[in-house]
Amino acid sequence: MFRIERDRARFREIVRGRLRGDLRKYLSTSELLGRRGEHAVSIPVPQIELPRLRFGENKKGVGQGPGDKGDPVEGEPKEGEGAGAAGEQEGQHLFEVEVELEELARMLGEELELPDIRPRGDRCIDSEGGRYSGLRERGPRSLRHFRRTYRNALRREIASGKLDLSDPRVVPIAEDERFRWRKSQPQPDSSAVIFHVMDVSGSMGREQKDIVRIKAFWIDTWLRSQYKNLEVVYIVHDAVAKIVDQQSFFHLRESGGTKISSAYELVLQLVLDKYRPEDWNIYPFHYSDGDNWSARDTERCVSLLRDELLPRVNQFCYGQVKSAYGSGQFKKDLDAALVGTENLVTASINDREGIADAIREFLGRGR
Amino acid sequence: MSRANELPPGLRDEVQRIQAIARARGLDFLDIVFEMVDASDVNALAAYGGFPVRYPSWRFGMDYERLEKGHKYGLSKIYELVINNDPAYAYLVRTNSDMEQKLVIAHVCGHADFFKHNVWFQPTERKMLDRMADHATRLREFIDRLGQDTVEIFLDRALALDNLVDPFLPLREYMQNRRGEDERSGAVERARRSLDAVMQGGERRSGTPQRERSRAELPTHDVLGFLIERCELEPWQCEIVRIVRDEAYYFLPQRMTKVMNEGWASLWHSRILTGGVLEPSEVVDFADCHSGATATAPGQLNPYKLGIELWRHAQERGLDLFRLRRIHNDASFLDELADEEFAEKSGFFVYGKNSRTGRTEVLERDWKTVKEKLLQQFSWAGMPRIELVDDDHQGRGELALEHHHDGRDLELAAAGETLKTLAQMWRKPVHLFTQEEGSPRHLTSDGKEVRLSEPAPAGAGKETA
Repeated sequence: MFRIERDRARFREIVRGRLRGDLRKYLSTSELLGRRGEHAVSIPVPQIELPRLRFGENKKGVGQGPGDKGDPVEGEPKEGEGAGAAGEQEGQHLFEVEVELEELARMLGEELELPDIRPRGDRCIDSEGGRYSGLRERGPRSLRHFRRTYRNALRREIASGKLDLSDPRVVPIAEDERFRWRKSQPQPDSSAVIFHVMDVSGSMGREQKDIVRIKAFWIDTWLRSQYKNLEVVYIVHDAVAKIVDQQSFFHLRESGGTKISSAYELVLQLVLDKYRPEDWNIYPFHYSDGDNWSARDTERCVSLLRDELLPRVNQFCYGQVKSAYGSGQFKKDLDAALVGTENLVTASINDREGIADAIREFLGRGR
Repeated sequence: MSRANELPPGLRDEVQRIQAIARARGLDFLDIVFEMVDASDVNALAAYGGFPVRYPSWRFGMDYERLEKGHKYGLSKIYELVINNDPAYAYLVRTNSDMEQKLVIAHVCGHADFFKHNVWFQPTERKMLDRMADHATRLREFIDRLGQDTVEIFLDRALALDNLVDPFLPLREYMQNRRGEDERSGAVERARRSLDAVMQGGERRSGTPQRERSRAELPTHDVLGFLIERCELEPWQCEIVRIVRDEAYYFLPQRMTKVMNEGWASLWHSRILTGGVLEPSEVVDFADCHSGATATAPGQLNPYKLGIELWRHAQERGLDLFRLRRIHNDASFLDELADEEFAEKSGFFVYGKNSRTGRTEVLERDWKTVKEKLLQQFSWAGMPRIELVDDDHQGRGELALEHHHDGRDLELAAAGETLKTLAQMWRKPVHLFTQEEGSPRHLTSDGKEVRLSEPAPAGAGKETA
């Protein structure tokens, strides 16, 4: 109805353009967290306005209602908007723009130049999702491929010298006809599981956790766009590890010692029991400030990784968030012990600005 | 339009009945075409200012999106849309109840009467439906020829300037033309003019009677008119400025009489509906709906409420309502009617920002102050008054604008951006002289950057080169 849909599409295009321009900003703020629905994120963007000569802040106005001198006026008084036509008044509003997760992921991919993920190994399954990309000589009328049919007919008529150029009539006969055919395409197994593992020991402060959750948000967003079926498991650990829900993952504050191996054992347990590598693409992400309980435990972690986890997962990512208390030793130990291991990625994140780069580290290998 | 938009027979009868009652009670309105629209279409129409066709612009899309959201979350509902056109067009939303339809029909009769008789509406284009469609076609041609981005960028520039117009100009010209017209052979000339109005689509042909004095004369508030005559523009750019100006002047009277017009329509829907049109079972719903439309949130000014209260006050004072609706705009209407008794009764106050606390609060209830502020708020169609005073500022062909400051500062950031837009169009620097917190300010832009300074005390255009 009307042409308004085109105006709206244009408006959304403009908004998306701005969003793309500001994506780096969103990569380092927690603004988008908690705004994600099933399929879309609603992103607040400043309303786009044409500049105008208009009255500013100090304008006084007349209102109607109770209240004595000096009483605050509730809300920001503005000219009333009754049940009438669209208001003329201008004001600074935030506009909520719904952006599909896929699109957000695409923007992220473009901004950080992320490659698409290559399916692991050759595990492909014939999934149902076929497309009408094939051709056959028999088929229902409704699927007749008009152009190919006529091309064949034309070819035949030219070859047999029947085509009269002064009166070019092309009449397809049965053997010219081609029909679209649904080709089932082997598609990569589209199930994936993310393990977000976070160190919540005393040394991980609020800022560190914020960084983790912003990262987790973007990683989820990206992987969701790559896999149809994505499950996310949240694990927190101090000296012991446990599975928590999303809410607690982002808000829990524990304190105490750190035994990283406890978390790795839990992940391994889940991989062995529930998310078997034959069926799942597996992405553990572990965030910590790099302070482990003991060198012994770090050794245990290394062997767990090398012998058990790394052979079973697509990629293991360790992100070390800088904190005032952490020694940052764990990353050094991992790097030293597992040097040259292809599917282990470690990254240090100094501050919010570093989030984008760390995401690129983690996801930039298309694994 | 299409059959789907036709009214069902029951409603058609209702329209006949209500219009007959309205006429019997003294309203005299343009013919009204009522159309039935779906709830989902009404937002699209509203975003287009009631018109079915407008030129392509993302701004309509933005308004539409906002209205849709408001609708979805139940924050707003549009009952009534009416276009000042001959015939007037009005929309009835299919999902409205019978009572709501009656209310809208009666309300629209009030508006159509107001359009026909109020003096500020006399100069307006009454074939605006066609004109808007024509504007849309022109813009689409430009887009096809030059590409969307090019046209959009220029259109946005022109739109940023669309409040740099003179609200009193159309009526002034209209009166002058009328005087001139009386001397000519009336009917033939008028017929020719209306034919011209219909044909007007291409560049305005020479020989079209443009009797207004040159718009390039300074000083002027009609900056858009000035640009059309004096700015070096491509023909298509000139046409866009003309379109924007045309539409700005068309909508101006509605801004200047919003309170009166909504009040008048509300007064009449209330009179007509409670005069026997409502079924007994509908009275309570009507009261609910009516009071919803005329309610104020604390500290706000609802034009429906303020309007109807002013009209009732006029009635109590025994004034001739029909005469008032003919000669006034909001500012003069308020000036005539808002007295101490009225201010007291209505509970008006002046609000403002407390600079110490930073919050907005009630500053004053004294009725004289209230009235002064009210008048200020409604004067100059509610826009800042900007005058183009010089087109050869400092002898360098630069434009100088002066803001007639009335205590309300401009938003300087936005003003700077607007100036930039103007400078891009004029292709030379432009200046704006205004005030901020009581001190003079000089804004200038060369189309790329904006500078803010305190001017030499001599003021606009007096500096020696």
